[in-house]
Amino acid sequence: MSYVGSLLERPKAYYNIDGVGELGIGFMCLSWSLLGWLQLHTPKTSVWNQMYTFLIYVAVMTSIIHYGSKAIKNRITYPRTGFVDYRPRDKYWIPMAVGFSVSAVMAAGIAWAARRHWEISTPASLLGLLFAAGYIRIARTVAWKWLMFVILLVGTVIVAILPGEMLESFANDTSPARGISPRAAGAFWMTFVIYGAVLLVSGGISFWLYVHHTQAPAREGE
Amino acid sequence: MKSQIRSIAEIDRVIHEPGRLMIIALLFAVDRADFLYLQHETDMNKGTLSSHISRLEEARYVEVVKTYRGKVPQTVLRLTAAGRKAFEQYRRNLRQAL
Repeated sequence: MSYVGSLLERPKAYYNIDGVGELGIGFMCLSWSLLGWLQLHTPKTSVWNQMYTFLIYVAVMTSIIHYGSKAIKNRITYPRTGFVDYRPRDKYWIPMAVGFSVSAVMAAGIAWAARRHWEISTPASLLGLLFAAGYIRIARTVAWKWLMFVILLVGTVIVAILPGEMLESFANDTSPARGISPRAAGAFWMTFVIYGAVLLVSGGISFWLYVHHTQAPAREGE
Repeated sequence: MKSQIRSIAEIDRVIHEPGRLMIIALLFAVDRADFLYLQHETDMNKGTLSSHISRLEEARYVEVVKTYRGKVPQTVLRLTAAGRKAFEQYRRNLRQAL
C-alpha cells in the first residue's frame, strides 16, 4: 500500500518539479521583508505605513506570484513534462485555510506580546524553525535540497544568537512606537530575508536543472 | 481469515494491473492531467499508455478529452466518479486482504 501511497503524493510534488513553488514563496518572503524595511525606515505617516498601500502591495505581490507561476507553467513546464490541474480543495481551500490560520495566530500572538511589552525576538527564531520544518516536505523530494534545509536551520540559529544590538540596527528606532521592539522587528525581518533568499536560490537551481534536463517532446501521435 | 482471502478475489482486475494502477493513482490525486504528464510519470511508451487508457475508458473509469493547447494537440484525462469509487474500493479490499 505504501507504493500506492507514494503514487498519490507524486502529483503534489510535481508542482515544484521546476522550482516554481519555491520561487513563489521566496519572492513572497522577500517582498514582505522589503515592505517591513520600508515601514520601519519611514515615518509613521508615510505612504508605506498606510492601510491602502498595504492592500495594493499585497494585491501586486500575489498577482506577480500567481500570473508569473502560471506563465512559467504554461510556457515551459506543461510542454515538457505535462499538464496537471489540481483539485479545488488542494488548489485553494487548504492553502487558504493554512495561510489564514497561521497569519491569525501570528498576528494575535505579536499583538498580545506587544501589549504586554514582552521581548518577542524568540518567537522569530521559532518562526524560522517552523519554516525549516515546513521545508522538509520539499527536501524529501530531492536529496540536494537537504543542504538547503541545513542552511535554513543554521540561519535560524544565527538569528537566535546574533547580538541584540546588531538585530536592533536592522530595525529603526521608531519601531517601539509601532508596538514592537527594535530587536524583535530586526529578528523577524532577518528571518524573512534568510528564508526568502534560500528559497529563491533553491528554486532557481531547481528551475535551471529542470530546463537543462528536459526538452519539449514532439506531441503528435497521442 | 476466509473472508480476508475472499477479499483478494474481489479485487478489481482492471485497476490491479500495475500500469493501470499507476494511471488511476496519479489521476486520483488531481482534477485532470494530460497524456504527456502520465507518460513522464509512468515511463511507459505511447502505445502501452494508450492501450491502458483505452481499457480504463472502456470500463468508464477514465474520461478522455481531445483538445488543443494553443496549436498543440492535447489529450486530457480525468477520473470519473465511477473510477474514483472503484479505486477507493480497490484500496479498501487490498488493505483488508494484506
